[in-house]
Amino acid sequence: MKVFYFLVVFAAIMLGMLWVDFGSVGKAQDSEQSLRVMKGAAFFSMNVFAAVFAIAATALLIPKDVEDRTLYTILCKPVTRLDYLLGRYFGVLAMLAIGLLCMDVLLSAALWHTVEGMLAEQLPAMQALGFSQELIDERVTTLRQHGAGVGLQLGVLAVFLKAAVLAAVALCLSTFSTSTLFTLLATLVVMVVGLMVDEARGVMAEYAAHGRESRVLSVAHWVAYLFPDFKLMSLEDATIQGRMLELGLILRVCLVAALHVSIALVLSWFIFRKKEV
Amino acid sequence: MALASSNMVVEIRGFRKEFKSALLRKRLVAVKGLSMEIAEGEVYGLIGPNGAGKSTTMKALLGLLQPSAGECRVFGHDASKVDARHQVGYLPENPYFFKHQTARETLEFYGKLCGLRGGGLKARVQEMLDLVRLADAAERRLSGFSKGMLQRIGLAQALIQDPKLLVLDEPTAGVDPIGSREIRDLILSLKGRGVTVFLCSHLLEQVQEVCDRVGVIYEGEMVVQGSVDSLCGAGDEVQLSVGGLDDAGLQSLRRWIVEQGGSVEAMARRERSLESVFIDVVTQRKGGHGV
Repeated sequence: MKVFYFLVVFAAIMLGMLWVDFGSVGKAQDSEQSLRVMKGAAFFSMNVFAAVFAIAATALLIPKDVEDRTLYTILCKPVTRLDYLLGRYFGVLAMLAIGLLCMDVLLSAALWHTVEGMLAEQLPAMQALGFSQELIDERVTTLRQHGAGVGLQLGVLAVFLKAAVLAAVALCLSTFSTSTLFTLLATLVVMVVGLMVDEARGVMAEYAAHGRESRVLSVAHWVAYLFPDFKLMSLEDATIQGRMLELGLILRVCLVAALHVSIALVLSWFIFRKKEV
Repeated sequence: MALASSNMVVEIRGFRKEFKSALLRKRLVAVKGLSMEIAEGEVYGLIGPNGAGKSTTMKALLGLLQPSAGECRVFGHDASKVDARHQVGYLPENPYFFKHQTARETLEFYGKLCGLRGGGLKARVQEMLDLVRLADAAERRLSGFSKGMLQRIGLAQALIQDPKLLVLDEPTAGVDPIGSREIRDLILSLKGRGVTVFLCSHLLEQVQEVCDRVGVIYEGEMVVQGSVDSLCGAGDEVQLSVGGLDDAGLQSLRRWIVEQGGSVEAMARRERSLESVFIDVVTQRKGGHGV
């Protein structure tokens, strides 16, 4: 039900975006900027939805099952604890995927409507002003690159991957935490640190380049490996800019996300397998 | 590992459970070296006051807790292993389920956890709904169920995979006297089908009615255990129920007993229990259906 509320808010944002007056030939840069703003707002909403849902839903799973005693009736069936954890985790991922898919459909429809509207307005004007066919084709390609295409879907995939990592971290923390609030806050900390890891590495590299190495820096260097690098996974930034992504980069990001998820799930299982409920 | 004695379904030997308090790391001993066995087809009742260690023992038997010492075995398997739970059904005290699910969906969910699929699952779910008399409420969400109905759906999920061992924690908690009697009859019928039952209950009269053997646990220790007959028998005392005699006839009977060398310990007009009055009234209103 809460997912539904989020989708309604998202749909309202998308409809609101359609009210914006998009450019003409003389405002070619403005048109692209408008599309960037539209995608930026949409991806911001998606990231907030995905992060809130992944953290809140997963952090509450085990404590709620213990409180409601549904955990007893499940674990006394021939179900391994790993099966239980995986079932719960992939249930959250399925809900997340459905929510993001709905948002993706809404965003794609809004972008398609906007881009086609821009083209319908700008192409006749360009032809009337005597632009060459080559320039007109280039304009079409540029605008469509900002529209609903493969790039957009990859951006949504990136949002999903980050949320999947966050959900796995929240699950891992909830296996030993005695407080849901602690799980929520600790996962938020992991998210914030994960967003800053890239900058931190840059600073550390700069210090190292200037020969200012210290024990604290080398410890920080290794600690940085413990946190997922969410900046690295933020492929949607390129999507917002209308840039095409390399397949190799996408695969690498998928592998990094899979690695983080696997580590978190293995740790969760290790802690939960002997946990007394 | 094979069972020491082949017909033992449950074997608990020297089971000890300690809990550590979070702050002071003080140890609380919940169960102190408890040992017991339950044979195949037996109905065993574990009774004791609150906090005596009944639920801890049940949880250990279901693999939800690890013994601090000793061992718990079910069908010869270590109770903490999944293999031990294939033939075990469990009804917790005051069971809670996913409230957004209907009764049918709940049973399908638990059936799938036990590996049931397709037509076999559907047939089994319907059979269980009929057994616990919830067929009419099969499509209703559990959020609208009464406590008694939740207890019945709990019993149905415990029986979904046709287990050979049924573990019941306060099976009649919150259930009205008719429902309580139905559960008692169901336990007896399961016993007739060879199902082993291990139950904890505060309703000692009911435990006495359905159990073959009883264990009394107090402060984590098994104080006494044995067959109901051996524990509840009152030596050479005999209870005689007589009808159709007036006061003079009763006095004659008393004299005759004394002449025979016996003694009359108690003689009073028999009264019906409130429970039997309630059950008769409700059964009549239902048109003779019921227990």
